[in-house]
Formats: sequence, C-alpha cells, structure tokens
Amino acid sequence: MTWWRALVDGGAVPGRGNTRDEVEAGEPADLVEGNELQTHPIPEPRIPHPVSFLNGIERWSVVAYDGVAQIVSAYVAAAVCRRDERGVLHATHEQSRAFAVAPVDRMSPTLRTLLEQAAPDLEPVDGALADHPARYLEQVESTVRRARAHLERELAEAATAALGTNEWLVLDGRLSRSPAVARHPRAVGVINSHGAQFLEGRGLERALTLPAGYRTSVFAVRGGHTRTEVYSWYLRLWPWEGNDLLYGLLRVEARADRDTVTRASEVSGWLWAERAPLATPATRWDRLLYPLHHVEEYLKARAPRSPAVRSRLPVA
Amino acid sequence: MIDKAIPDAIGRVVATELKPATPHQFHFWTANATAIGIGAIVKVGGVGTGDEGRVVYGVVTEGFAYSDLATPLHDVVGAEGDPTRAADAPTARQQIRYWTGAVLRQTPEEPLQPVPLGQVYLADDADVAQALRMDGFLYSATPTAIPVGLYTSAGRDSPVYLDADFLLGPEAAHLNISGVSGLATKTSAVEFLLGSIFAHFPAHKGRIAAVCFNVKGPDLCFLDQPGDLSDEDRHRYERLGVPATPFQHVRLYAPLKADGVNLNTLRTHPDLVDDVEPLTWGLQEVVDYAEVLLNRDDIDAKADAFIDFLRDRVLSRTFDDGFGTTHRVQTFADLDRFFRSIFDGLEITAGGRSDTWRTHHIATMRKVRNRLLNISTRCKGLVTDDGPSSDLPWNEFKDRTVYVIDIANVDPLGQDLVFARVVSKLREQLERRELGVDAVVVFVDELNKYAPGDGPDTYVKKMLLDISERGRYLGLVLFGAEQFRSQVHRRVVGNAGTQLFGRMDMDELATPGYQVLTPATKSKLATLPIGELMVRHPHFTQPIFVRFPKPPVLRGRDGVERFPPAADVPFEDAVVRQLVRLDRRVRPNQVKDLIADREQDDVRRALAAARRTRPDDVLAYFRKVLGARVDSDGSRAREHQAVPPLNPISGEPY
Repeated sequence: MTWWRALVDGGAVPGRGNTRDEVEAGEPADLVEGNELQTHPIPEPRIPHPVSFLNGIERWSVVAYDGVAQIVSAYVAAAVCRRDERGVLHATHEQSRAFAVAPVDRMSPTLRTLLEQAAPDLEPVDGALADHPARYLEQVESTVRRARAHLERELAEAATAALGTNEWLVLDGRLSRSPAVARHPRAVGVINSHGAQFLEGRGLERALTLPAGYRTSVFAVRGGHTRTEVYSWYLRLWPWEGNDLLYGLLRVEARADRDTVTRASEVSGWLWAERAPLATPATRWDRLLYPLHHVEEYLKARAPRSPAVRSRLPVA
Repeated sequence: MIDKAIPDAIGRVVATELKPATPHQFHFWTANATAIGIGAIVKVGGVGTGDEGRVVYGVVTEGFAYSDLATPLHDVVGAEGDPTRAADAPTARQQIRYWTGAVLRQTPEEPLQPVPLGQVYLADDADVAQALRMDGFLYSATPTAIPVGLYTSAGRDSPVYLDADFLLGPEAAHLNISGVSGLATKTSAVEFLLGSIFAHFPAHKGRIAAVCFNVKGPDLCFLDQPGDLSDEDRHRYERLGVPATPFQHVRLYAPLKADGVNLNTLRTHPDLVDDVEPLTWGLQEVVDYAEVLLNRDDIDAKADAFIDFLRDRVLSRTFDDGFGTTHRVQTFADLDRFFRSIFDGLEITAGGRSDTWRTHHIATMRKVRNRLLNISTRCKGLVTDDGPSSDLPWNEFKDRTVYVIDIANVDPLGQDLVFARVVSKLREQLERRELGVDAVVVFVDELNKYAPGDGPDTYVKKMLLDISERGRYLGLVLFGAEQFRSQVHRRVVGNAGTQLFGRMDMDELATPGYQVLTPATKSKLATLPIGELMVRHPHFTQPIFVRFPKPPVLRGRDGVERFPPAADVPFEDAVVRQLVRLDRRVRPNQVKDLIADREQDDVRRALAAARRTRPDDVLAYFRKVLGARVDSDGSRAREHQAVPPLNPISGEPY
C-alpha cells in the first residue's frame, strides 16, 4: 500500500495530475448573494435559443533575425458562431489580423526599410529588450495576446450590438474586457483559467471543492483595464474528486445587476448542459464548452499555414 | 445572348498523404445535406487548381460520415452513460460527409494525371454522356445508341445508352443479367431492353428479331398485350425515346399436350389461343440432336457411331435389316419396329449366338433405342409420331418480331432438346444468311441450369459456350438471366459484353466475382428496388446504376388473371379449333361428323398433315388424308398406339 493510500483511507480526497494555471492578479471579491459564500445545486437546464459563441486564437513565430533582433510573424483571429435550431454552428462574425512584431529601433536601416515596406501591419517592440531574447519573446507574446484581446473586444462589441431580442452571447474569457459587453444583459463570459484568486478562507475552500452540478453564490469582481465591475460565480461541470481542484471548474461572468443574481442558477443549468458534447480532443475539455472549442477549430482551419509547421518539413 | 448558368459546386476534392487523389480515384466532401449518394455521377473542375481545362468525371463508390469525436467513449461520457441523453446535447458535433469517387473519364485523356483538387459539381445530361463515353456513339453520323434506362441519382433524369456494336455485335455482344428471384426485374429488364432495341436498332445494321424461351410459368406469354403503366413510367419512356407499347409482332409457339391436340401453354384463353402455333417435331429432328438426350455416361464412340449409322443409312431410306425385313423408318413407331426386328433377328435367326449386328453391339443398340424412344414418351406432344408438323419459320424470320417458345411445362430433357435444336438452327441459318434477319437475340432464363459453372459438359452447355464465344460474328446474341451469376459457367458470363445486376443476395455478393465492388456498392445492390439495375458495359469504366420503366406488356401473372387459361377441350373440339384456325370456312359439324368413330391417332396424323401442308381447302385435304391413311395403314397404326421404352424404370444402365 502506498503512503497516500493511507491518507485517502484516513479521509483525504484522492487527487491526480499537476495542472496549474498561470498566476494572475486578483482582488478580493464582494459577495452579492447572501452573507456567506454557499454552494447551490443547479436546476434542470433550460437552454436559450439562439446563442452565439465568441472565441479567438493567436499564433506567432520568429521568422527572421537581424543580428540578435528577432522578427516575428503574428496572426490573431476571432469569430462568432451562432447555433441554429438543429444545434449546428454557423460563423456570423469574423476578424483576423496578420502583423509583424519587431524591435524596429534595433534593426539595421536597410532591413528596417525593407520590413516597413513589406509588412503593412507592424507592431514595434522596445528595442532594449532585444538583447535579452527570452524577455523579448515574453514581450512579443504579450503584444500578440493584447492584439488578440483587442480583436476579441471589437468583435464582442459588434456581436452584442447585433444580438437578437432573445439571443445570448457566450465569450471565452473575461466579460470585463469591454464595458459595453460587460453591461449587456445577455452576454456571459466563461473563464476556465483560474490564475486570479478572488476568494479566501472558507469561501475559497467551498469554491474549489464545489461538487459537480453545483454553483457558488454570486460575487462582484473588477477586471480588465477598464476596471468594469461584473458579477461572477463558480460552476463545477465534472467531479473533481480523483482529479484536481480545478477539474471541470468554470468561473462565469455576467453583468453587475440584481437580475444576474436571480438568474445565476438558470444560467448555470444552461452551461451545465453545454458539457455535452465533450470538447475533446482539447486538453482542457473538462472546462471548455464544445461550441467555444468549435469556434477555435474553425479559426485554426482558416488561419494561414504556420511558418513553424513549414520549417519542420524536410529540406530537399 | 445565351445565359449559361454556372452550376453551384456541391463539394470539393480533398487529398491527404494517406488518401491522395490518383488518376483513378479521388475523395471529396459535401454538405451534410446533399442530394448525392452511391452511384451519383459528378464532375470535377480543375479551375483554380493550376489544372485549368482539365475535367474529371467520376461515380461515387463509397461514402463516409464522421464527426470530431475522438473516441466513442467520449460520447458515453458526455451522455453520462445514458443513451437517451445523448441527443440532448445542445450543439451538434462537427460532421463530415466524405465520398470516394472512381474516375469514369478525364478530359483531356492524356497526359493521365491525378484528379485535381477542385470543385465538385453534379453531372447534367451532357456530362453523363461525356462521363460514360456515350458521345462517341450517340452523336456520330451513324448512331448506335440503345437506351437502357435513366440515370436518376441526385435527382437527375438522364438517359443512359448502350452501344449496339457492343451489345449486339460485332465489337462485343451478349448480355447477362443477374438478380434474386421474385422481383420480376430480370424478365422486365429484358422485355424493356428488347423493346428499346427494336425501336433503336440502327437501320444500317439490318434487321433483327428475338427468340425467347419461356421456361417458367406464363412469364413471356403475353408480350403482345398492353400492361398498366404509371405516368412516371410513361415519362421515362418519353425521356428514353422508346414507345410505351407492347410488341407489335409476336409469334408464340408451344408444344401440344399428350393428347396431341390441346396446346401445352398457359395462353389458352379463347381470345388469345388462336395466336399460338403448335410446336411439334418428329423422329428426324430428334435424331439430329440425339446427343442432347445422352448423358455423360452415355457418350462414347460406339453410341455415336450407331446414331450416325441410323442417320446415314436407315432414316427415311429403304433399308434391309439382313433378317429378311425391309424398313423405311420415318416415325418412332417405324423405329421401334426396326429395333424389334433386329433384336428378334439376333435372338431367333442367329439363335442368340451373336450379340453384334453390323459391328454394333446389342447393348449399344439397346441404349440408343431406349434414349430415342424414351423422349417420345416423356415429351409426348412435342415429339410426335407424325413427322414434322409445326416448326419455326426458319427461312422467314421477320424484322422486329419476337418469337416466344413456351416450354415451361415440357420435361427438362425436352427443354434441352428444344433449346439445342432451335439455337443450332438459328446458327445454321444465320451462317447461311437465310434466316430472314441479320441478328437474333436469344433470351434464356435460368442460365445456371443450362450452363452451370460445375457439373457435366452437356450438349446445351457446350452450345451456349459456343454462342458466347463466336455468336457475335454471326449476329447470334445471347441474353442470359440467372439468379446466381457465380453459378454460371464463367466463360458464358465472361463473354457477355454487357452485364446487368438487379437486387443481389448478400451471399452471392460475397463470392469472388464481386470483389471489384466497394462495400457501399454491394450494399446498394443488396437493396436495389424493383426497376433499378447496375449496368456494366464496355464503354463504362465503372458500374452505373440506372432505372428502367416497367415494360409496356402484360406481366405473366397479370396475363393469367386477365386471360385465364381455358380448360382442355374435348378431342373433337380441339381438332375443330385447329382446322378452323387454318381455314375459317371450316364448319365444326362437318369436322365432327368426319372424325366420328375414327381412331384418334389417325385424326392426329391427318391434322398434322393439314398443318404441315396448309392447303387451300383444308377440310377437303383433311378428309382426303384421313380417309387414305385409315384405309392403307390403319391396322398397323392401331397396332402401336404408344411406344414404350424397353425398361423405362428399371435400374439397367441401358
């Protein structure tokens, strides 16, 4: 018998894996439903119709060097797919951006001129970072991610503006990226990365050990550079016992309104029903809704071929 | 200005390293809701692929559907193990309809290259003609196109044609049709195709007729009677340019029953029976095809030699048997007397010391005697003792005429005899160019019975092989049908240039002959509806599915219901009917008075003579023959009313 078996036999919950999310900044949340964070069973699902789903992708790759300066080709895209009455998803909005990322002030004049002529969309990066390639690439990643977030925000605003009377929009990620989107009554953000911590103490424990088919009480959080307040709650899609604390755990964001508290259970029931079909083969299928996975696959299929893929081809 | 609409693409060719496009096969996807299915003909355009101008035609041979589900277990997990919840998922998984197409034709044909990864379109009428290489014989100065049905996949309605040069010779010939029994597909298809051939047989190829052997029930007995057609069928006839009318010229032949006067057919309704010609043969016809009557154990040089001796020296000649009797053998009764005389001679005159006569052993002679005389008993009505009284018009076959020979109720040995003799005579007459037509289609059903893949090499099988391999040069074309193609001699089916397949049995489809078909095509074949066929033809590089209209003739079963067979009429009435048929002026009472108190054999003989001679004054001739025969040979004829075989049911090998 292994030593941890003794712990499990003694009352510990079995676990597995080593999943962890990138740590993000988070502020303590204010509870807006009850006096103490509680767990609530979710009701029978009522799935609204129609529903649109928004997701985005990003890709980048170093494609050239000017000395140690790394020139990056980047691509970001976002799309909205609406689900029809047969459950089939159709793209309704789509945007993409292909651009170059380079430490322009560190490049030789000749190559800089060539780059500026050849790449109509150029995102300059601080040249001082070029001497530290690892930090430079972190900066590149951050730049690309920001570009993606910007694209998603633009698309989310366009999509919410075009939503039908009863139509909902589900976004992959934070709702607070855009005040306009964050205030929409039928926009929901689904966050499956839990690097930011909003709870502590007993509330935190209740949230992270939430049973499958339960949600927590609603709390208020501020996020994004706009510091827009939204209401949020945790929802467990799949049992975490035998896996890890974050397994099947979603954080849902909706507009900061009493109506959100009233409808939290109903929305949770709906998102619970979105567990099927499974978003496999995505590694985070336990937290990824299939329609969002579909939008991502759609964007990947339409994205230009990655230079990284090409470079792995055998050279004749 | 002609507004030529560009059709919408219904799919796109895709190729991967594992499933690449080749010069003979390609893969494409379509929307989930698509009109195409197995057997659909599609066109691939090379526009935008660097292959501008290249067009590839293909037929769909396989279909796949799958989703992005990585493993079935994920579906179980998603539904939490409850199948009833599996359909509750609010989002439908991404699915694909993925098809495999076999290339029918590429333009340009050279250089032969892999199918371009272009757009896929549904084929229209012109595309179907191109894809199946029908343009060569459909639009030539001397078109040789014979409509075989409509290509109806994907909502289309395009005529499909066979090339007469490859269906009826001389380039290739013969047609074989397989399919399970009971759906009337085989017979219906041949009836429709014969009508189509008669309507479209090119004038420059001459005249054509068909000989059909009706081997079961009333299948082919009502080809001249109109059947019920739906509006859809009429529309199909219109599209195919084939008249929706029954055959205009049909001659039906049937042997007589054992009574020698009633016809042995199901077409005996009073309204129709007058169109049926009796088919009766005599000793000479039987002896000419005596090999048919011998089984494999019988075939030896001694029997052959003795039969040749009979043919050359005895039949229809004055012959002295060496025991003091002179014979002139013209009938089975004469033949029996001849044999008895010899056997008696060997027994009495020679004192039983010799068992050979003119180098022929008595056992050989007994065997041949038994075989020859046995047929006159087993096939009484077909084989008569009165000489050839009614036969097919061997020198006067008419253009676009169907000759139906009803042998459904004849003993199997008799069927073999009829088949062998008719086909041999057709061949002889065609060789001499004396038949009256330039080509004859011979339709034989139950081919697995007449030309089985295993079993002895019978005379009939050898003859079918001969037609299959050499008939196309003569204009003798075999249309064979069978339930199980795998059970027919492979050279017979292999020589059929055109092959049709109706609904097939799965066991049959599992045999090696069908290995070239994809599982999907086999599945379609196993569930093919009535009226649909899979066609293989030399111009088509892949099997094609077509739908043909219901034949415009009365089906056998319907015919029997609409024209119920009449009960056998009394001997006197049957004689009257046959004489009236020869001469409308004949009065029944006159005939009945004439034949009263006469021996039936005498009457039959006189009747046969009248049929054979067809005099101007039938009654006078009948009276004359009846009187003369009775007076001169009556006692002898009555002496031998029947010709029993020596030991008809004994276990004696001879």
